[in-house]
Amino acid sequence: MSLDHIQPAPTESAKRASALQRFLASRRNNERVEQVGIFAVLAIGAILMIIPFIWMVGTSFSRSANMAMPRIPRLWPADPSLFNYQVAVTNLPIIRYYFNSFLVTTLTTVGYLFLSALTGYAFAKGRFPGKTFFFLALLTTLMIPFEIRMIPLYFLMRTLHLKDTLAALILPFLAGGFGTFLMRQYISTIPDDLVDAARVDGASEFVIFCRIVLPLCGPVLAALAVLTALWRWNDVLWPLLVISDRNLYTVTLGLAAAGRSQGIFTGVALANTSLAILPIIVLYLFLQRYIIRGITLTGLKG
Amino acid sequence: MIKQVRKSLVWYVFIAPTFILFGLFVVYPTLETFRLSLFREVATQQELVGFAHYVRLLTNQVFINALLNTAFLGLAFLLLVIPISLVLASLLNNLRVAPNLFKVIYFLPQVTSTVAVALVFSYVFQPNWGLVNGALRFIGVNPLPLWLAEPRYVLTGSRSAVTILAIWVALGYYMLIFMAGLQSIPVDFYDAAVVDGASPLQTWWYITIPSLRPSFVFLFITGIIDAMSRFSDLWTLGGPAGTPARSLQTIVMFIYQTAFEGNDYNLASAASVILFLIVLGVTLINFRNLLKQEFANL
Repeated sequence: MSLDHIQPAPTESAKRASALQRFLASRRNNERVEQVGIFAVLAIGAILMIIPFIWMVGTSFSRSANMAMPRIPRLWPADPSLFNYQVAVTNLPIIRYYFNSFLVTTLTTVGYLFLSALTGYAFAKGRFPGKTFFFLALLTTLMIPFEIRMIPLYFLMRTLHLKDTLAALILPFLAGGFGTFLMRQYISTIPDDLVDAARVDGASEFVIFCRIVLPLCGPVLAALAVLTALWRWNDVLWPLLVISDRNLYTVTLGLAAAGRSQGIFTGVALANTSLAILPIIVLYLFLQRYIIRGITLTGLKG
Repeated sequence: MIKQVRKSLVWYVFIAPTFILFGLFVVYPTLETFRLSLFREVATQQELVGFAHYVRLLTNQVFINALLNTAFLGLAFLLLVIPISLVLASLLNNLRVAPNLFKVIYFLPQVTSTVAVALVFSYVFQPNWGLVNGALRFIGVNPLPLWLAEPRYVLTGSRSAVTILAIWVALGYYMLIFMAGLQSIPVDFYDAAVVDGASPLQTWWYITIPSLRPSFVFLFITGIIDAMSRFSDLWTLGGPAGTPARSLQTIVMFIYQTAFEGNDYNLASAASVILFLIVLGVTLINFRNLLKQEFANL
């Protein structure tokens, strides 16, 4: 239908249309202003979040930072050199620390994931007397923070001759109430039919677990792996208690010890810290999607 | 019957490793902490003293200071980080350009080790040339605050410095939890508000914030538990005594110092039990809800 036949209407509707357009345009403008505002606030926050890191890396390249720091902070030094890093790698067996941390974190994470999934599977799909009792007992252990049992645990390690071994950093953390609980919740959502079908085919429970259940747990295992790895990599209290042999230091413990002894040499200390942080940041940038999803999924931060 | 037992046997085998490890590394040490707290070491023999250590603790200025300090630092941190992260999360939730980039940046301090971050911040808060005071000098502030060298309860003292550090570290995590909460609010709620002609700020205040109740509860409870067991960052900055003037000493640092520097394992165990009771109290509030959900279908 053409509007041209009705005389007053065209101007009327044209007016209305242009008013609507102006309204939409102003809303779009408002929204653009709003988006710019939000972006600005978040960007200022983001700068505050990364500026200590940038300052750290910048200062770690300054040889003169060991004697005197500039009164007005500089993000990039006037005298860039690798001197501090040369001192850092000759003083600290940082490769050794990385090897220890890597070994401890990997073994703990693999063991923790396997045991959590296995026990979680039993609680999700198994039928056996005492299941509720055992599950309740498991939930109770969730309430016991590590700090509360660390003194007897330290004595236990001494009695078992595990003090000053990497095993002391692995064994106490292989089984976890949280991991088991999370895996049980997740495995419960796998349909029973899938498991029953395999049982009818004569598969043993362990085969079902490895071939059917584990492959379906990918996302939750990834989340749990990230959290466990972060938690173990960054721990310092327990390594501090059971490791006094410098060759067995983890990155975190080695850094803490170096911070104590060389803290007055700002340049070297920040080079040490950069060596401990930067590889993890690079890894984080590659894995950020999984890490952030893992945190959101479980509500924990490792 | 035999078949029945054999059938359940496999499940016991599945849970056995976990429960053996739990027995050895969780249950036994926890009970042992309780036992140690009631004994005293007399020439390598343990002698029952009842609650004497608890009485000693409650009259011990250092312990009371550590307890109050832990509570103060925890509350100051939570009362600041929750509103800040809520506002930033709400903004980020409405941002259409590069929201992921901001998530990654804000979360960055959380993946770096607490020790490393605390070391960096010992330089950031250095009074003469640190990043913070350097910036303050640049804009003409005089006299410059002492930060980590000032043990008194002032706005620019050691407690403020470590609270800023804690917020800086945790902000990204709190934002992520709030964003998950924000995304689970049904769109209908907002539509209803638009129909009623509510302004964006009104919508945020009357709809968004009340709907985030579960996130608030979760963050507050886990936040308190984390704050009660705070150790690594403050130990890195102030040693086990929480220098300066014990202004940074927490309960776990007290336990560490008493046990592993003072060799008074019994007193330290009593302090651990008190920490346990506090954490238990906080957890039970949370646990009741968990159990309600869990055993509705068991």
